[in-house]
Amino acid sequence: MDHFKKLKNQIQIPIALSISATAAVVIGGQLAIEALDISPLIGAAAVLVVVLILAILLSDFAAKKALIPVKTIWEAVLHIDPDHHTTAAPNLTSLKVGRELVTSIVLQVYQFASQENGKDLIEHRKQVIQAANIVSHMPLPLFVFNKSLIVTNASNSALEYTGVSSSDLFGKSLFDTLKLEFSDDHTLDAWVIACQENKVTDTAYWERVHVLSKENDSVIRQCDISAYYNRDNASGAEFIVTLFDRTARYSLEDDQLSFVSMAVHELRTPITMLRGYIEVIDEELKDKLDDEMKQFVVKMGIAAKNLSSFVSNILNVARIDHNQLSLHLIEKPWKETLSESITDAELRAKIRGKNIQLTIDENLPTVAVDQVSIYEVLNNLLENAIKYSGESKDIIVKSGLNKDGLVETTVQDFGAGIPTSVLPYLFEKFSRNHRTRASVSGTGLGLYLSKAIITAHGGQIWASSKEGEGSTFGFTLQPYTNMASELEGTQNKEITRNAHGWIKNHSLYRR
Amino acid sequence: MEPDIKQTKILCVEDEHFISELYNRALTKAGYDVKTVLDGVEALKEAQTDEYDIILLDIMLPNMTGLDILDKLRNPAEPQIKAKIIIATNLEQSEENRLAVEEKADAYVVKAEMTPRQLVEFLDQFKTA
Repeated sequence: MDHFKKLKNQIQIPIALSISATAAVVIGGQLAIEALDISPLIGAAAVLVVVLILAILLSDFAAKKALIPVKTIWEAVLHIDPDHHTTAAPNLTSLKVGRELVTSIVLQVYQFASQENGKDLIEHRKQVIQAANIVSHMPLPLFVFNKSLIVTNASNSALEYTGVSSSDLFGKSLFDTLKLEFSDDHTLDAWVIACQENKVTDTAYWERVHVLSKENDSVIRQCDISAYYNRDNASGAEFIVTLFDRTARYSLEDDQLSFVSMAVHELRTPITMLRGYIEVIDEELKDKLDDEMKQFVVKMGIAAKNLSSFVSNILNVARIDHNQLSLHLIEKPWKETLSESITDAELRAKIRGKNIQLTIDENLPTVAVDQVSIYEVLNNLLENAIKYSGESKDIIVKSGLNKDGLVETTVQDFGAGIPTSVLPYLFEKFSRNHRTRASVSGTGLGLYLSKAIITAHGGQIWASSKEGEGSTFGFTLQPYTNMASELEGTQNKEITRNAHGWIKNHSLYRR
Repeated sequence: MEPDIKQTKILCVEDEHFISELYNRALTKAGYDVKTVLDGVEALKEAQTDEYDIILLDIMLPNMTGLDILDKLRNPAEPQIKAKIIIATNLEQSEENRLAVEEKADAYVVKAEMTPRQLVEFLDQFKTA
């Protein structure tokens, strides 16, 4: 309607000007008759002649202007008529009057023309039926819905897969019938909203989506989803959504994870006993053993401790690989968390003759961290620095704001350094420096885990090193204020994240 | 040995006989008054006597799990006990269990990550915290 209003205003102005000009001539004429003392009859005749000429000229001008939109639409109609194939397409860009309205009508004209093509209506109808048939017999769950999110078409397998009847699905919103649960806030409905706000066409893909039972919200299927968006699609198929069933594969992976969990539990029990008994021997037989035997007991203790860390790491790696490592980010002053971790490490460092120097910038903002996991990262980096610093004594830890406004922490040692051939693979699973493999114990999983944890915190981790001079490991963390928007509208003061994405709260994303 | 350590009574709920023996030995040696229990139902009964300052509670237990015991002991409708509860387990928990433990227990340790002596150090710190 706005387009109509605009056109009306554009035409109204020249008409109003014409009438005003004519009125001005009449008044001017009358004043002239009086001033020049001309006979009223001759004067009136002269004014009438001038008014007539003026009215003809001005009305011609106004009518031409008012008819430009109609003429342009007519040109468009002629242009698509096969009998007038020499007619050029209307020039919409030079149009000054009613441009918006005319453009939209002309586009409609062309759309109708392309649908009907003037010639073969039967062929077109055949195509429509064929398309409907393809959708209906598509061997994949497929839904088509319009801009009001009303389902206009769906494959038979979609009905079968989701367990809904056609009467429950067609003519209703997809989200009323289908309950889906996503692992993060990149959900189908969020994507739909984003598309309608600012996209013309788009595609998206989701993995590990849960299809929930309508009755009790239990997970009945697991699938991947692919979706396509096309704004103002002529056939009304604005959104096309396809589901790929992955129930068998994902369930198997979940079973594997629960197997790993159980295996870890079973392995930990004898490890707990071993460590306990080794400690008893170490404490109570110390005085009766010769130096070599004492060393053996210490080595047994270290081996059992490493085995225990390795077992825990295996479980964490399995969780990361299955996207099930969940973090609970809370607001913390970074100085406090970092200092606590350093205090713990200092004790271990001193035993090995190392000295940790800590420099933290004042006025660091609070950060969003998962206490347990970030402690593990710090522990890992500090432990590595202690282990790999060789003969050198100092370990330098620094923390401050970087140029991107992120809280950056670095751990620097002055040991043997890392060969350039190893450096690029440092954060991969089971990556170990072959030169120190024999002399320094480790599982090769610590940095892989640290990277996953830091990534899940929305930060980055890196390493730089020079052989013979030492290594620096660094990571960034987000200031809490960067995360604050993610908490808006929730009752929670926590953000839950996982290794490959993140969630505010499970219940929030249950549809 | 400080006198207050001697007075601290610990209920150690652990069904693995060897681990129970190791913990009992280390804690007694450190001056704690320790009672060991191997069974879930018996552990709940013992805890409800409210004679303990600290309860070391395993999760995988015969007859009643540690999580069920924790639920019962921290149920606001039931009589409250003074003991602080430390979950000591080797079981990795699901997300739901982790949240329940964080809400209801006073501390959580993975047994395999600690030697008995480290457990004693942990308890010494925990007591004064």
